[in-house]
Amino acid sequence: MTFLYAATVAIVAGAGIYMILARNVMRIVMGVALLAAAANLLIFLSGRLVSVSPPIIPDGAETLAETAANPLPQALVLTAIVIGFALTAFSVALAVKAYRSLGTLDAGAMHDAEDLGSPFAAAIDTKQG
Amino acid sequence: MNSETFDIPALAALLPGDALPALLLVAFLGSALGFLVLARAGRWAGPLAAVLPAGLFAAFVGYVPILSAGEGVPAIVQTVSWVPSLGIDLVLRLDGFSLLFVLMITGIGTLVALYAGSYYADKPTSDRGRFLSYILLFMSAMLGTVLADNLIVMFVFWEMTSLISFFLIGFNSTSAEARKAALQSLVITAGGGLALFGGLLLIGMEAGTFSLMAITQDPALVSASPWFGVIATLVLIGAFTKSAQFPFHFWLPNAMQAPTPASAYLHSATMVKLGVFLLARFDPVLSSSHAVTLVIVGTGLLTMLVSAVLALRSEGVKAILAHSTVASLGLLVTLIGLDGPTSSVGIAGFILAHALYKAALFFCAGIVIHATGATRIRDLGALFTVLPLTGIAAILASLSMAGLPPFVGFIAKEYVFEAKLDSSFAAVVTMVAVIVNSVLVAIAGIVALRPFFARNPAFSGKPKHGELPGMTTGPVVLALLGVFFGLFADIPQYYIVGPAAVALAGTPFYVSFEIWHGLTPMLALSGLVVATGGVLVWKWKPIHEAMNRLTFIDRLSFEKGFDALFDGLLQLARVTTQTLQNGRMRTYLSVTIAVVTAALAYAILAGGLQSDGRGFAMPGFAGDEIRPYLALVSLLVAAGAIVAAVARSLVVSLVGVGLAGYGIAILFLKNGAPDLALTQFLVETLFVVIVTAVLVKLPAIGDGLRSYSRLDLRPGDAVLSGAFALALFVVLLSIAAKPFNATVTDYYAAKSLTEAFGRNVVNVILVDFRALDTLGEIAVVAFAAIAAWSVLAGGEGKRTSASSGDTARALPSLIFATTARLFFVLMIAVSLLALFRGHNEPGGGFIGGLIASAGFAVLALAFGIETARKRLVLHPVVWMGTGLVLAIVSGLPGAVINESFLTHQWAELNFGFTTLKLGTTYLFDIGVYLTVVGGVLAFLIRVQQQMDAPLPGEDDPLVATGNSMQTKGASA
Repeated sequence: MTFLYAATVAIVAGAGIYMILARNVMRIVMGVALLAAAANLLIFLSGRLVSVSPPIIPDGAETLAETAANPLPQALVLTAIVIGFALTAFSVALAVKAYRSLGTLDAGAMHDAEDLGSPFAAAIDTKQG
Repeated sequence: MNSETFDIPALAALLPGDALPALLLVAFLGSALGFLVLARAGRWAGPLAAVLPAGLFAAFVGYVPILSAGEGVPAIVQTVSWVPSLGIDLVLRLDGFSLLFVLMITGIGTLVALYAGSYYADKPTSDRGRFLSYILLFMSAMLGTVLADNLIVMFVFWEMTSLISFFLIGFNSTSAEARKAALQSLVITAGGGLALFGGLLLIGMEAGTFSLMAITQDPALVSASPWFGVIATLVLIGAFTKSAQFPFHFWLPNAMQAPTPASAYLHSATMVKLGVFLLARFDPVLSSSHAVTLVIVGTGLLTMLVSAVLALRSEGVKAILAHSTVASLGLLVTLIGLDGPTSSVGIAGFILAHALYKAALFFCAGIVIHATGATRIRDLGALFTVLPLTGIAAILASLSMAGLPPFVGFIAKEYVFEAKLDSSFAAVVTMVAVIVNSVLVAIAGIVALRPFFARNPAFSGKPKHGELPGMTTGPVVLALLGVFFGLFADIPQYYIVGPAAVALAGTPFYVSFEIWHGLTPMLALSGLVVATGGVLVWKWKPIHEAMNRLTFIDRLSFEKGFDALFDGLLQLARVTTQTLQNGRMRTYLSVTIAVVTAALAYAILAGGLQSDGRGFAMPGFAGDEIRPYLALVSLLVAAGAIVAAVARSLVVSLVGVGLAGYGIAILFLKNGAPDLALTQFLVETLFVVIVTAVLVKLPAIGDGLRSYSRLDLRPGDAVLSGAFALALFVVLLSIAAKPFNATVTDYYAAKSLTEAFGRNVVNVILVDFRALDTLGEIAVVAFAAIAAWSVLAGGEGKRTSASSGDTARALPSLIFATTARLFFVLMIAVSLLALFRGHNEPGGGFIGGLIASAGFAVLALAFGIETARKRLVLHPVVWMGTGLVLAIVSGLPGAVINESFLTHQWAELNFGFTTLKLGTTYLFDIGVYLTVVGGVLAFLIRVQQQMDAPLPGEDDPLVATGNSMQTKGASA
């Protein structure tokens, strides 16, 4: 399964990157979500998938059985999922706000700041003038 | 000799053992205080500022008897530990040579402070206070530079002087020329400083110590190193830039844009001599190489000649003086390259004489400029009647500069000539010295005579003022000292020049510094120089005009090259910025991803070539069984991601993303991670709910195409993301092939129940072992939600009457509406169950919170977001805040009892029929639960409110419908 899992992570991440490179900001948001999912799966995989039993100490035992799954990446990934959700939800909020203010979802058309001109060029002009 | 007369052991005894660091501290504290006080001190600011350098001068004079009376090469070394881990100590070392500098810095500093107070009398008090504070800070930095024994410490102060010089040259910040000159000097001196720093680091690496003392006592530490050539080059660049040596000579005359008190102090008497100071200090190391010596002597000579020519061409009083300063610095650099102990007497004597007369002349020039407003020599004349004292001081100083007896300048020049005649370069060096000294004589004559005595028809302006006590004191004192030290030469010989020369030579020897030593070749040379100089003064006007006709000199100017380099660099920065920082996010992302991919590829390829097991590895196929069910799910995940990527319709993309997310949840579930699976299911659901709410209103087929069959294909992006995916794939395989380090996992597996009383190890890690991390993470969730809440503020107010009441909302279906409330209650109950059993079974605060949020989402879908919001009772941000506070509070008992924040405490409650074990972990998990509920609902409520309000294009005809993307997409 190692090859298959690795290929899955790679494909999901690649699809996320592909979506992030799009112009529609909602597509970019979904790309971020895919990339986050791929990253989570990657961390999970790096803890090695050796067991199917959850990392829960059975009644009567003092320590986790050798055959249980690795709890460490699970703890890392669990919070990462929630944070990833917060990030994508915030991106959705930004996209909605941008659409409301600018009337477009095209990232390429969002150039109000650039239209103000380059602060760098302005600084040079004053210096020379 | 006269040691009984001048020996003041009582004064030396007054100084405490570790006075040097204390004096340096006083200097810096005093200058810091200056920034607060001097701007408010009114007309007493100058004298008040002068108190600090005057006091320090008096204190350092106390060291004179110690350093002039000791056996051998006396030096005082005092140490304060500074950065012990890096081997950097504040080692301060005062020997004869640094004493010469220290006395110059504090002595002339006193006069400069007095002078500047008067010079700025008619300027705003804030300007005056700021200027004086810079002067004091500069003085402190100079003291640090010459006293530091550790090279790194010295470098820090060295750079500080460059920085303060920048501020002082550009002090008149409304003048474009002053700003340009300030920037130029900073770029050159700080650029040279960078080279010097490289050299110093190499010295430290090669010698194993940063102590100047240790290095000069054993020069072979450095000179035998294979890096010696590089070190010498870098140190020379540092010294030559600071002391304005050819080809960096042009910054110093430009630096005359600084107010005259700063020019007198920084750009003639003290800072520009730091390069000479450094070369002299490193002379034992550098002189071991004949090539380096040649470079030093050659640079000095070239600088002397070039600046002599430029001085004859100059118009302004300050410019002429600046060129002559450069020439003098060249002379000093040449002397350092020469061998023999006489050269050290020449160096010490000339530094002293030059500081006295050049500062005095700058002071006089400043008075003349201040009084008349004219700066060019040909605009000035007949000022002696108005400024008699200044005129006398100028004449005395210039006689010393011209090297006439009985001034100290004469004695210094005699020893300079002697050193040159003694050296192995005798002929060339002496010839250049004669020429340049003649020019110096001429400059002295012109600067001292013309403004005061010339009957100048061009000069018509009436001087604004006569002698001002504050300004006249400085030049008079310095000029008189020039006479005094010449007449009573045994005083500088015994107390100042002698110790300095001995410290420079590194061995004790009898230092003679006498005005008359018979009819020598040096005397003959002096006569020749004075005669030639006299001719130059007499014929100054024709020579000056002839020199100005030689326009080819302008084309040789290195300043033009510097300016071209500087402008070219700015242009390059502009072009690269405009190319890379072009405002198109796609470009940024493409570049970032390409770089990351290239780095991954490089790591894979470079690692693949290593055979020691650290490189790329491939996992084996053996024993890696394929589980058909999971293989199918993996394929579904991949298919979902690909569909999401290529579908033109955003709704289809969302379905693809959801498919991939649920698939990944199943992969979690079937690999022993029920907690992850639950979290992933819930998050994916909520994500789909929120995005759907948005897509319902936003143009869902983003590019304006009705057909779902069209694909979003971008070949270039596909290649880039494909390459990234491939690199990631290889890296993942390589990770899987490496042995697994289970140390941390084993620790948690063993301690989870015994120490944290929980059976669900994942939850125990989250709420106990790594609770601080979790606290940070829920804080991130809360901040993101608060940010989204405020970004999307203003939606409620715009709600139209049609969608304002939730009752008016069309219900999705009768069955859904009737079951939704039941669902909601059930889900809240389940969420609480998940929360409280989470410590021992799958579940926990995150999962519970997400289940509850999903319950609210169901309610919102059925009855509208306002209903859900009412059920929440409190504001979602309040819930988040409560959650964060609970999580923090849960850590306090541990902080009190175990002195360790978030170390959870447990108590066992006995109810007779059962015992209940309760810990602060539950409180923490409730905090997590509430933060997650509040955060998710903040997103949900705000996005939904925005979607209920009219969007651009719905009822606002001014915003083009469907927005610009539709037309763009159709044409694409």
